[in-house]
Amino acid sequence: MTTASTHQRQHTLALRGLTKRYGSLAAIDDVTLDVAPGEFLSLLGPSGSGKTSILMAIAGFVRPDSGDILLDGVRINELPPEKRNFGVVFQGYALFPHMPVRANIGYPLSVRGVPRAAIAERVERVLDLVQLGAFADRLPRQLSGGQQQRVALARALVFEPAVVLLDEPLSALDKKLRAELEIELKQLHARLGMTFVNVTHDQEEAMTMSDRIVILRDGRMVQAGRPSDLYDRPATRFVAEFLGRATFLEGTVERCEGDTLTVAVRGAPIRAMAASGAFVPGQTVILALRPERVSLANGSPASGGMNRIAGTVNSAAFMGMQHYYVADTPIGLIAALVPSFGIGPLRPIGAPITFTWPVNGAIPVGES
Amino acid sequence: MSLGARARIFVMAAAWLIGLFLLLPGLITIPVSLNDTRWVRMPEEGLSLRHFEAMLYSSNWMTSMRESAVIALVATTLSVIIGTACAIGLWRVVGRTATLIGALVLTPMILPPIVSGLALYRAWVVLGLYDTWFGVILAHTILATPFVVITITTALSLIDPRLEQASRSLGASPRTTTLRVILPNIRAGILTSAVFAFIVSWDEIVVTLFVSSRAVYTLPRRMWDGIRESVDPTVAAVATSLIAATSILVIAVIIQQTRRGRAARAG
Amino acid sequence: MPAAILVGLLYLLPIGWLGLMSLGGPTEWTLRWYEQVATASGIHKILWTTARIVTITSLVALVLGYLVAYAMVHMNERQRLLITLCVLVPFWLSVLVRALAWLILLRNNGLINEALLNWGVIDEPLSLVRNELGVIIGMVHYMIPYAVFPLYGAMRGMDQSLLMAARSAGASPLRTFRDVFLPLTLPAVFGAGLLVFVFGLGFFITPAILGGGRIVMLSEYASLMVLQSARWGLAGALSVVLLASTLALIWMISRAVNLRRMLGGA
Repeated sequence: MTTASTHQRQHTLALRGLTKRYGSLAAIDDVTLDVAPGEFLSLLGPSGSGKTSILMAIAGFVRPDSGDILLDGVRINELPPEKRNFGVVFQGYALFPHMPVRANIGYPLSVRGVPRAAIAERVERVLDLVQLGAFADRLPRQLSGGQQQRVALARALVFEPAVVLLDEPLSALDKKLRAELEIELKQLHARLGMTFVNVTHDQEEAMTMSDRIVILRDGRMVQAGRPSDLYDRPATRFVAEFLGRATFLEGTVERCEGDTLTVAVRGAPIRAMAASGAFVPGQTVILALRPERVSLANGSPASGGMNRIAGTVNSAAFMGMQHYYVADTPIGLIAALVPSFGIGPLRPIGAPITFTWPVNGAIPVGES
Repeated sequence: MSLGARARIFVMAAAWLIGLFLLLPGLITIPVSLNDTRWVRMPEEGLSLRHFEAMLYSSNWMTSMRESAVIALVATTLSVIIGTACAIGLWRVVGRTATLIGALVLTPMILPPIVSGLALYRAWVVLGLYDTWFGVILAHTILATPFVVITITTALSLIDPRLEQASRSLGASPRTTTLRVILPNIRAGILTSAVFAFIVSWDEIVVTLFVSSRAVYTLPRRMWDGIRESVDPTVAAVATSLIAATSILVIAVIIQQTRRGRAARAG
Repeated sequence: MPAAILVGLLYLLPIGWLGLMSLGGPTEWTLRWYEQVATASGIHKILWTTARIVTITSLVALVLGYLVAYAMVHMNERQRLLITLCVLVPFWLSVLVRALAWLILLRNNGLINEALLNWGVIDEPLSLVRNELGVIIGMVHYMIPYAVFPLYGAMRGMDQSLLMAARSAGASPLRTFRDVFLPLTLPAVFGAGLLVFVFGLGFFITPAILGGGRIVMLSEYASLMVLQSARWGLAGALSVVLLASTLALIWMISRAVNLRRMLGGA
């Protein structure tokens, strides 16, 4: 199927104003989204954010109240799941417990009436792809979690579906295995060039694998973009908090000079970057400060491009490659994640500490 | 979700038809017992309670009803005490012996009633229990105990076993623990098991046929003889009364359990 | 606990004794009663009738019970409560009351025949009772609840995502049922089937009343042997046959339950 996939037509999937209510609660609230052909898109959000509902609506198991699901521009709302030709990897895998691996993977082909010999050949190829050739005759319960995950993936890929849908594909696995499979899945996607839509609540997983991430909250889209864009320029406090860690500083804009803001946070002037003209003096603003953008000042005075604030250690943790500090400062509690190499032993609680960060280290974000 | 529209209609229709088939015999005796003629038929001209009157004024039916009630009450009490003790014992002790005893206690529920009937008939004759109150009560107790054991075991399985460990570590003896910690926690289960035991004894017919003849004459036995001789509307009236009594008991248990569940959730 | 053992003994010893009597004990030891069971054509007929009726009723009850359980899984709360009541009420009703009700409905001058005669559908009353048909109707009615509960339990416990996986793999609803739902409920079907079969073997009241003496099953025959001709040895031998088949089936049920655990434990 690797050769076939290079010639395979790539499909576009689109959602237009998709809405689904359960009583007064909106599980999906007016979601409009285009999935580019060959893209690896992740729907990321906390539980109850509607990400699985969206995936199940695409797969055909949740009937939307309004809005359209379009495949290559054709509305497929009414199409039953078995006619949609989407490969789905379910949470918990949903492998048929009474069928050996080979039969599980061959099932989509057998219901499509593919001749036996062809089924055997294609199953063999996809087994090689997920490196499970040796396990073809085992029952699912005789496999480890990671192996089951691969079988589920193989079953979803074997019939060369228009789109592959993954519902928390790695959530049942332990941390180390998850990290391995994230890379594997990413490589597989690159090799096959199929369109993947992945649902997850794990921000690291989403950032590692995805070409693009859509952040959801209460059934609504909050922000969509490339992982690095979302990380560096979160639109809201929620995104900044959900994707990585952040300290939030609330203050009033004092001056705008080009793209540099000076913000008074509890009386201290803090400088930050923003698109010029986005803010006017006197306006309230929230700044998100990533802990890893903060460093320890080593005695040399503040240079022009840096913010600098002194305080005392409130809590300190040794994390191997890094030290994690929270300091009590005049502008509130500030977290810092600094490389442990060459900065001496962990500072005790109550010790004086001075943090610095570049002007572009803190980003203004929206409230919600 | 997993049904096509036409298949869904077919399955639903079939299910409701079967439900009706299950309910039908219970429903049909009610109008029959209320008909105003002396034949077994649906009421045509009017409804009448004459068959219920006949039942209430018949000393035979009333005596049997009283006998059945007394036997059922005593057998229920005995089987609840024995069954609860047994279930708690099996819950505490785990192992081969316990499994064996558990299986042994459950056999009367599983074996064909005719086998029980014949075996107890022979034994009761020898022991001098044949056709005595005590003999019938004992037989019913044997038959009802498995139902108690099963119900109580289910109730016990919902209790955290650490509860007993906690009580013991706080200084309570096994006996005190049982009385003050375990029993209060399975009160609902005991009540349910009592209803089950009562119904088992109240309805018991096969074994009763073999261990009694004239001196003890329970209600099901009289019905059995009544049906074998000729079906008359009075039997239908008795049947209707039984349906009503059973329904009330079962519904009472369901209500009790729902209320308990709700209270537990509210607390 | 000791009391329970006492009760158990009070029950098991007589059963053992019954077994001894089937061997002619305690006076003379003989296998002639078993020989009679094995050779007498009258008894063969009884055994054959019993086996046939129990098999038919078990299968019918199983199919109908499967339908009801399957429908219950697809119902909303209120419908499910209603149909549960339909199943529960006869479940708790005295077997005598049920047999009586069927007699009232099915006999020659019973309600069904009279209604059909009045409507002119038939000229002669159909013989619905005091024959095999009557016994089968009554027994199926008794067995359905015993089939519904374990089947419903198994269907309820099924992982819905398996069905969704089959659909998204391209299987139609019917195909999904055949390839996934049915095979996964098969152990429960097997278990429920054995359960109703066990109950069917021991049936006494229903065939006695609805068979009207013409259809005699094993239990009734054994009781006749004792009550009418006091042939304890033969009755004992028949009881042992009944007992042995019951225990064998129970053993198979426990195996079926294990099988289900194996399949579900994936």
